[in-house]
Formats: sequence, structure tokens, C-alpha cells
Amino acid sequence: MLSKNKTGWLLLSPTILILVLAGLVPFFYVLYVGFFQWNPLAVDPSLQFDGFASNYRRLIFDEIFLESIWRSIKFSVVTLSIELTLGFLLALSLLSSFPLKSFFRSVHTLPLVIAPIVVGSIFKLFTVQGLGPLPHILKDYFGYTLNYGLNAEQAFWMIVIMDVWHWTPFVTLTLLAGLSALPQDPYESAKIDGANNFQIFTYITIPMMVPVLIVVIFIRLMDSLKIVDEVWMLTGGGPGYATRFTGIHIWKEVFEKRYYGLGSAMSILYLYITIVICWVLYSVMVARGKNED
Amino acid sequence: MKKLLFALVASIFSFSAMAGGHADWFKEAGAPYKGTVLQGVAENTPPGQFAGEVLAKEFEKLTGIKVQLENTSWDQMYDKAIKDMEANSGIYDFVYIEQDIVYDYLNRDFLVNITEGLASNPSLQAPGVSLDDFTTFIDYFKDDTGDVFGVPMEAFIKVYLYRKDLFERADAKAAFRAQYGYGLSPATSFDQYRDNAEFFTHFCAEQGMECWGTTVQGHTGHPASTYEFLESIAPSFGLYNWGVNMDTYQSCVENGGQLNGGRAKAALNFWTQLLPFAPPEALQSTWSEVGSSFAAGRAAQGWVYGENAAWIATDAEKSAVVGNVGVMLPPTAPGVMTQAAAGNGYIGYYDGGAYGIPHSSKNKEATMLWLQFVAMNEHQADWAIAGGRITHKDTYADPKVMAVDEQADGYFTLMRDTGFLYAGAPPFPFHGAGRGAIDPFIYSALAGEMTPEEALDGACQALDTVMADLGYQN
Repeated sequence: MLSKNKTGWLLLSPTILILVLAGLVPFFYVLYVGFFQWNPLAVDPSLQFDGFASNYRRLIFDEIFLESIWRSIKFSVVTLSIELTLGFLLALSLLSSFPLKSFFRSVHTLPLVIAPIVVGSIFKLFTVQGLGPLPHILKDYFGYTLNYGLNAEQAFWMIVIMDVWHWTPFVTLTLLAGLSALPQDPYESAKIDGANNFQIFTYITIPMMVPVLIVVIFIRLMDSLKIVDEVWMLTGGGPGYATRFTGIHIWKEVFEKRYYGLGSAMSILYLYITIVICWVLYSVMVARGKNED
Repeated sequence: MKKLLFALVASIFSFSAMAGGHADWFKEAGAPYKGTVLQGVAENTPPGQFAGEVLAKEFEKLTGIKVQLENTSWDQMYDKAIKDMEANSGIYDFVYIEQDIVYDYLNRDFLVNITEGLASNPSLQAPGVSLDDFTTFIDYFKDDTGDVFGVPMEAFIKVYLYRKDLFERADAKAAFRAQYGYGLSPATSFDQYRDNAEFFTHFCAEQGMECWGTTVQGHTGHPASTYEFLESIAPSFGLYNWGVNMDTYQSCVENGGQLNGGRAKAALNFWTQLLPFAPPEALQSTWSEVGSSFAAGRAAQGWVYGENAAWIATDAEKSAVVGNVGVMLPPTAPGVMTQAAAGNGYIGYYDGGAYGIPHSSKNKEATMLWLQFVAMNEHQADWAIAGGRITHKDTYADPKVMAVDEQADGYFTLMRDTGFLYAGAPPFPFHGAGRGAIDPFIYSALAGEMTPEEALDGACQALDTVMADLGYQN
């Protein structure tokens, strides 16, 4: 047994080593730097300890940072809701047969293989005022002016649309895998008992899909909370602060303004908030699952 | 592309002419480093492309030293270079130093002292290459003792470009006079600039042309807009050094600064009020898009960086307005020109950059050779034609440059004769942090979320906070 364990640990050791070097060391370094005032552009560019809570206290009263968190949460909730709804509908439709199904499934999956920065470029070329086709089409056929360089609401929703386009296929494929693996017995029993399609969906499909839904929700929630690349390319966080999500705000503070200490504290605080959100969500979903059982 | 090919052919001739002279020296000096690969990172500009696609290849042919120049976006260039130098990782052997960031790099001791490096190793000193051949732009890359830390590879001024064909149209002239009561001409005052912008926006629409009255480098999420305001518009209104009091490092009027003063507010009002007369892409335009918009014939006039002026005026493959480009100094407020001429102010930004060697470079000697190769007189003319930049005094008099100068409505002559009216960025080691504090307020003013007055009041407070945070205020 011991030798069996030794072999296991030996096989795991490269992974553990990589995890420690690439995950834990940077994490503890960021945690450490977050306790200091540190900006290499300052007259005194060295790390200056200013109390463990100094940066965190400052962040609690930093309206721009707090607004960026609220903006990120709002963005995550909106995109997650749309992606889950669309993804579920698409997954259900892909369960049935229809002409050109495999072609549709392949095309539908394409956005997944595109790098986020490229997605941002594609949307920029497609939607930029004056040059992109979308503003022309909207103006000429619907009389609607699309100018997200000027309109904060449009900028936010354009990023929502971009994210939905990019990540709905992931939700669809994961849910499709889950749906395909569901046992058929409960469905047959329900039909014999006279349940209609809606009842079958709400009382059988959804409860059985909860584990898959939890995975999808967590992956997409964490991803959307740390969105940077696409937004960077499309709006740069503008107009004003309209699309300055927390990831972009941290980037600007750290790499443009060089507030390494404060930026590290922001990263840790945001990580903490993300974990809390996920934990609350997980608890609610598990508790609800148990109640339904 | 055609231009780069032409430059490549021209360079081959130049280097043939050089053969037997300096070429032999480079061959000999480069021999110990044969096979070395130099990595560089720079902004993707026409001069940068010339360096990567023409000069690097010639250098490799002569010395066997390969130069891999990564020409990337402005943001990425900074990101990669600074991270490499901070981490001391030695990925890059040379980096692009934009004029405005040099104070930051020197302050943080990122760069190798080139003067000292060459003096301590005379065998690396190329014959016929002298730092004295450069224009005064090289002074921006010197420390207090006069030692050089960067070899200039581009320098240009931000000029006023206008469409001669539009300004010379008889129907436009008549309509303008009827509407405004004076003659149509390129702008020398801000009122005239605004009138021109308004007029051509309507005139183009009436004529069914896709053009507007002015460019505006007004991206609402990119520092390009802050730069256009702080480095071009504000100085032409007489607001210098971002409105920062250089003795106290305060920028708000109530603390002795000028960033929210009358001149600044007039400048921001003027600039934001141009937006209705700018192409619709203005709020998503950085310097590159402004150049492209003007080249596509979408603007009648505008502030355009000189690195784009030459190709806009001469490269028919990329520009739709070749032969129709007029070049002038931008309009200025009363008294500004006099202040600039006396050395007490400036009318706009003398932009450019240099290649420098980070301390972390693993191939410093081979890079010294490359930087001297870049600095040679022989290929300056072709580089000027390809990239609209001049860093050497003698380049202005080169017949090839003079021929292009004529096509470009005297852009190079204007740069030579009036370059002294322009200035580089103020010597702020906190440049990035300061600008980053101002950015959101400029974006908000452009997007109409704040009035120019509110934006500048907020911007100066944010900038003062940063300068206090970083310990610069007395």
C-alpha cells in the first residue's frame, strides 16, 4: 500500500511542482506585495510597509474600484443568464435530429477556438463607427446609431453580445454532453405516469442536470469575472469608466500607473470576492438540490 | 509595401556604395558575434517597419548577426519592454524608448550608457558613425552629464495637414465666403479651424462625399486621446507641461498649477466641440486611425503625426489623397508662437524615439554594433522617405529627401525650420502614472459624460493625488 502511495506521489510530483511554482509562489508573492506601498515611479521606489491593512483600507473607500467590481458582477450575471438560457436551448435542440445538424454543430463551435484578443479584433472591425458594417446596417435599415465610443450603455451591451457569441458554444457543448448521458428510465416512467414535456423538463431534466449546471456556472462565472482581453481590444475600458471591469482596472493601476502594492491588494481582494460569490452560489445550489431530493 | 521594396533596393545600392569602406569594418567587428540573434521590441510604425524589414536584413548580411525586431502595438511594446527590464529577464537586447518614457527609464536605471560603453571598448566604435551627426533630438536621450542612453531612430513633429483639393475648390470658396464672410483658407486660428471643420462637414455631405471637417484623435478608452489633448491642443493654447507647476508639482489652479485653468478649459472646449465635425470613427481613433482616416480622404484638415505625413502625401498605394496634401504649422493662440520662439513654450509635440540597450541584455556588444549601424548616415535618406522621420542633420539636404519633401508640401523643410518650436514631453519620471490618472477624465469629456470644466477639475485633482502619492510634491 505504501509503495503504491509512493508511486502515486512520484507520478503526481511534476504536477504538484508546477502548481506550486506557477500557482502558489506567485499567489503568496502578490499577497506579500499587497501589504506594501510600492510604485517604482515614486521618488522612493522601494517597498514601504504601511501596516497590513493600509492598501485594503484604501480600497474599501475607492469608489472607482468598487464600481468596477459592481460592473463586473453585473456583467457576469447578465452574460451567465443569457449564455445558460441560449446554451440550454441549443443543447436541447441538438439532441433532436434535423437537416445539416453536424454542420451547424461544427460552425456553432468555431468561436470557442478563437483567442479572446482575436474575438475583440473581429468585433472591433465589425462594429467600429465609420468603417465597420454593423453601424452602417443599423443606421441605414433601422435608423439606429451605434457608437459605443460615445454611448456607455451601448459599450456595455456590445461586450455582453461579444461574450455571449464567444462562450455560448462552450455552455451548449457541456450541457449537450450532460443531457446525452442522462439515464432514460426516469423519462420512460414519467411518460407512463402521464407527465407532459414541461413537467418532464422541470422535474426530471433540470434536477438531473444540476451537477453539470454547477460546473458550467462556476467555470463561466469565474471566467466572466476576470474578463480583460476582448474588452481591452474593443473599448479599452471606455468610454470613461463604462467598461472598466475589475480586470482592466487592475491592469491599468499596475501596468500603466505602476501601483504594484495597491494593485496586488486589489487582486487579492477581488479573488476573495470571487471565492465568496462562488461559495454562496454553490451553497444555494446544493441546498436547493437537497431540498428537491 | 512598394515603398519598402523601393527602400530595400535603394538600401542595397547605398550599401554597395558603402562596401569597401564601413562595410568591411562591420564585417570584421561583427565576426566574433556571428550567429548571435538580437531580440528587439518596438512600436509598429513606418520607421520601425523599415528598421525591421530593411536595416536588420542588411545588418545580418554584413555581420552574420540576426536582428529579430518585434514591431508591435504601442501598449504591448511598453508592456513587454518594461516587464522584461523590471524582471531583468534579458529577453530583449534592445528596446524602443519613446521620448516621453525616457525619464522613467533613466530614473529606474534600465539602460546601458552607450557613450561610456563605446568609450570603454574602442574596438566597437564604428568609423564614420558619430553621435554628433544627430539633430538636437538626441539630447532627450542624454543624462545630466551628456552621456547618450538611446540612439534616435525616429523623430517627427505633429503638423497641421489639410486637403489642398478641397480648400482650392471654387464652389467651396464661394460657399464659405457666403456663409462666414471671409475667405476659405487653411486655419491659422482656432476660430478659423472650427469654421473650416463645420463648413467642410456640411459641404462634403451636400456633395455626397464621405468626408468630414477635421480629424480628432479621440479614442475614449486609449491614452492616444489624452496625448492629443496634452501634447498638441493644450500647448497650442499656451498650456505647457500638462499644466503642472514644475517647482511644486501641483496641477490644480488653487495649488499653483494650470491644468484646470482658463487656457486648459478653452483648449478642451475647443477640442471636444470639434467632435460633431469629425468622422464617426473619431471616438475610436488613436494616432494610427487618424492617419488612416486622413489618408482615406475622410477629413479636410487635422493634427497628424509626422510619421504618417510623408506616406499620406506620397504613397499612392496606401493613400487616396496623394498630391492633395498641404502641410502647415497648427493654429496657435495669440502669443504662443512668440513664447515658443523665445524658448518659453512650445506649439506641439516633438515626437520620436530611440533604441536603447537594457542592462539585462545578454548581447550588449553585438547590440552596440547594431545601434551604430542604425545610426549610419548612409541609409538615413531612405529611412526618412519610408518613415517620414529625420534624426540626422545632413538628411534634410539629401536629394532624395528633398524630392519627397516637394511632394509632401515641404513637410521635411517645415520640420527642419520650425522644429525648434516643438518640444518633447515634460521630464516627468512619473509620466505613465500621471497620464493614467488623467485619462478617464479626458475620455469622459469626449463622451459627453462630463463637461470640459468638470473633467479638468477632476483630472488635476487625480494628477495631484498621484504626484503626492509618489512623493514629488514639495
